[in-house]
Amino acid sequence: MHEAAIAAELVEQVCLEAARHGIVQVTGVEVEIGALELIVPEALVQAFAMAAEDGVAAGATLTVTEVAPRARCRGCGEAYVPEIAYYRCPACGVADAELLAGRGIILKALHCETS
Amino acid sequence: MRKIEVVTNVLKANDAIAQENRRLMEGAGATALNLISAPGSGKTTLLQRTIASLEPHSCAVLVGDLQTSRDAERLATETTEAVQINTGRGCHLSAEQVQAGLGKLKLEKIRFVFIENVGNMVCPTSFDLGEHRRVALLSVPEGDDKVAKYPTLFQTADCILLTKVDLLGILDFDMSRVESDLAEINSAAPLIRLSTKSGEGFEAWLAWLRGQQGTS
Repeated sequence: MHEAAIAAELVEQVCLEAARHGIVQVTGVEVEIGALELIVPEALVQAFAMAAEDGVAAGATLTVTEVAPRARCRGCGEAYVPEIAYYRCPACGVADAELLAGRGIILKALHCETS
Repeated sequence: MRKIEVVTNVLKANDAIAQENRRLMEGAGATALNLISAPGSGKTTLLQRTIASLEPHSCAVLVGDLQTSRDAERLATETTEAVQINTGRGCHLSAEQVQAGLGKLKLEKIRFVFIENVGNMVCPTSFDLGEHRRVALLSVPEGDDKVAKYPTLFQTADCILLTKVDLLGILDFDMSRVESDLAEINSAAPLIRLSTKSGEGFEAWLAWLRGQQGTS
């Protein structure tokens, strides 16, 4: 549901980075999204296309890679891979997870035609 | 074709403002709580009762809704400031909206800033507003299956309130299901059973709240 807001921020970052690198037309954008952000990649692609209209990234292809969650147990320190609805530590059984990965939306790379 | 590696946090603008909000409130000695739940779970009624039980002049509310100023009208009193934030089409509050709302408060008198998010169990969980604690509400009429259905909200909560527990004997609601789901998702946050109608659990909620003051 919040893909539109994320897409607007993403387009802003893409425009800033494109300006910084002197790119006039972005053809592709790569993002990494934590699986726990609850973002639907197809919805983000659609929202991105709309938000990018008329700008430097108009028509650019958005590639979304999902990042699997990783956690550390605040109880015993064990590092483990939680599931979206299961955070119990495999070592001590407590669900008190500090998330090390699986959140966040990272702009990884821009593609452009070489001039 | 050229590829340029960037690696930048897309929500860094939001996160930076959230950090400013947090520092601003800490500087003024205020603790901020972000209340997140589905619409109709009882956030506004809870806040009305909570503020009346604390020192009302030391509380302020920022309340987000798509439309209307109904909640701010319910919450504002002679002693408590309430700022309505209309998000229009937005399904969550952003740190920038909270920053604008904070600008309207006289923070030096405030101990608790309650941020009542837009009623939504999904989107608000992705946006740091600068809060110190996140409170998730689940009301009995919503059903006992919601913790596992919306795990991110409950995983990121510092306190979980089960509201409208006066309806427990009336509606089919399996408390053990909530407890076993929370045991798998977040066993660190306290679960407080609450009814603003009967007053059950209210002292436990106020005690938890007071315990958060001045901690960051």
